[in-house]
Amino acid sequence: MRKVLTIARKEFSSCFHSWLGVLMAALFFLASGIFFVILVLSYSKISMNPQQYGLSNFSGINQTQYIFGSFFSNLSIMLLFLVPILTMRSFAEEKRQETLELLFTYPLSDFEIVIGKQLGILLFFGVLLLPLSGYLAVFRWIGGEFDWGPVSLGFLGFWLLGAAYLAAGVFISSLTKNPIVSALGTFSVLLVFWISDWVDDVATGPWVRIFSELSPLAHYKNFTLGILDVQDMVFFGFFFFYFLFLTLRSIETRNWKS
Amino acid sequence: MSMNHPEPSNLIRFENVSKKYGAFYALRDVSFEVKEGEIVGLLGPNGAGKTTVMRTLSGFFPPTSGRVFVRDLEMAKHPHKAKRAIGYLPETVSLYPDMRVIEYLRFVAKLKGVPAHELRGHVRSKMSFCGLLDSGHRLIGRLSKGYRQRVGLAQALMADPPVLVLDEPTTGLDPTQIKEIRELIRALGQNRAVILSTHILPEVSMLCSRVMMINQGQILASGTVRELASCLEDREAIHIKIKDKQDQDRALKILSLLPGIWNLKVSEEVRGETFISFETSPDEDLRPRITKLFVEQGVSLLEIQRLQLTLEDIFLGLLREGKLGRRFP
Repeated sequence: MRKVLTIARKEFSSCFHSWLGVLMAALFFLASGIFFVILVLSYSKISMNPQQYGLSNFSGINQTQYIFGSFFSNLSIMLLFLVPILTMRSFAEEKRQETLELLFTYPLSDFEIVIGKQLGILLFFGVLLLPLSGYLAVFRWIGGEFDWGPVSLGFLGFWLLGAAYLAAGVFISSLTKNPIVSALGTFSVLLVFWISDWVDDVATGPWVRIFSELSPLAHYKNFTLGILDVQDMVFFGFFFFYFLFLTLRSIETRNWKS
Repeated sequence: MSMNHPEPSNLIRFENVSKKYGAFYALRDVSFEVKEGEIVGLLGPNGAGKTTVMRTLSGFFPPTSGRVFVRDLEMAKHPHKAKRAIGYLPETVSLYPDMRVIEYLRFVAKLKGVPAHELRGHVRSKMSFCGLLDSGHRLIGRLSKGYRQRVGLAQALMADPPVLVLDEPTTGLDPTQIKEIRELIRALGQNRAVILSTHILPEVSMLCSRVMMINQGQILASGTVRELASCLEDREAIHIKIKDKQDQDRALKILSLLPGIWNLKVSEEVRGETFISFETSPDEDLRPRITKLFVEQGVSLLEIQRLQLTLEDIFLGLLREGKLGRRFP
């Protein structure tokens, strides 16, 4: 366990060693802030004159749902850009610099290496979410009201979605020696996941159902609506461990290739 | 830990180890042992299988067949315990460039299982041994090659492994650094089993108590430095540089008529200057005779020098004559 934590800590702090990690955090904070401000402004605009927007009864619009529900849905798109950059270094960079070779000669199991790396990235991603709680304070301060339940679910869902995507990114990173290839590969895979959520809108049939059930975004949607469903939790857990398992297998291939 | 053995024990043992990459044998049926207190040099041309031996030994990948023992622990069955007993310095010392020296060494010490309360002192003692005390807070990426090699050696020494595996520890260093690293290795070899690979002949005679020559994945000869040297020292090379290309044929003709010359070849042609090289026995210096003949016949001789054969030359020569393959007791 100590070894896993040692690797996790190294992975976590290497995000701060390079300016890339800090830059990503800053950009994420900036972009999510812009989303948030736009949502708050548009909400206040509607609330001034609901009739103009075709709404006879303004109290029908839920503040929590309108602002935080949409906020979290928008954030999921940012993961498309964030995750490839966070994960591109994890294995691809170590392979390129050949630092992985030494790691394999230490008294460590492959499992400890993979888990440690994954944990470090998850931790960094968790830290990225911390500033978002500042928005809650700001929202309260300007006189808004929200329900804790749906908002916390939104955070949880976003973290789970991120964890699932990161696991996929780490797997793709373990396939290549080139961080750029890793980032592009991860981006394409996430794009496919994102698009698979739309299939529902354009087609019907049994295949469509498989696609939409496998789409992480469909499961994430429930969290943004404030619905906690065990199915969704199981889906993300399965997704995460499946890619963890694939990463482990991909690392083991060194034993039968050169 | 290893103190309770009454006599030097086998710290490393290879039993019929083969490693295949596809259909290619990188190692073929290799068996050897290394005892405590021995520094064994692994000699061979590039691609002979030196690095494969070291990677198999360090547990980087398993052999295709055969068994590797470290301290009587089989690598395949007890990878954790066996790897704990090994310090490995790879050929290209690749370290995390964005970490600081002390931070990296602590990371390695923790991964190798140095207990938390010993960590500080342990890392410090290794840094002091490798002359890194003043560079603890420097970024690894900004270190010179020599210092990076020291960090590499320090990471190999973490957790005091009784077996050291050093893959070409002195390549790319300047002469002072080479001298320092060699002294470190000699000091380390006293109560450990050290196996190091190199293609520099003098290095072997300076450092190693025993030499194994390896080619095409097989151990061709193994013995003490003296034994091996007697086998190798009956050859020398002479290099000749002549000015005009027109003289080349004439020069070759003169040389081919001389007795005691092997492997005559034109090795390079640069801007009209031709290099000719061949091997002779070291007993008789042929240079005065060749110079005289060239001058008499008007060949434009620029340079003539005697050189020690490179390891590759010797290897090829010995292989041709079937001299390799005999084992020293």
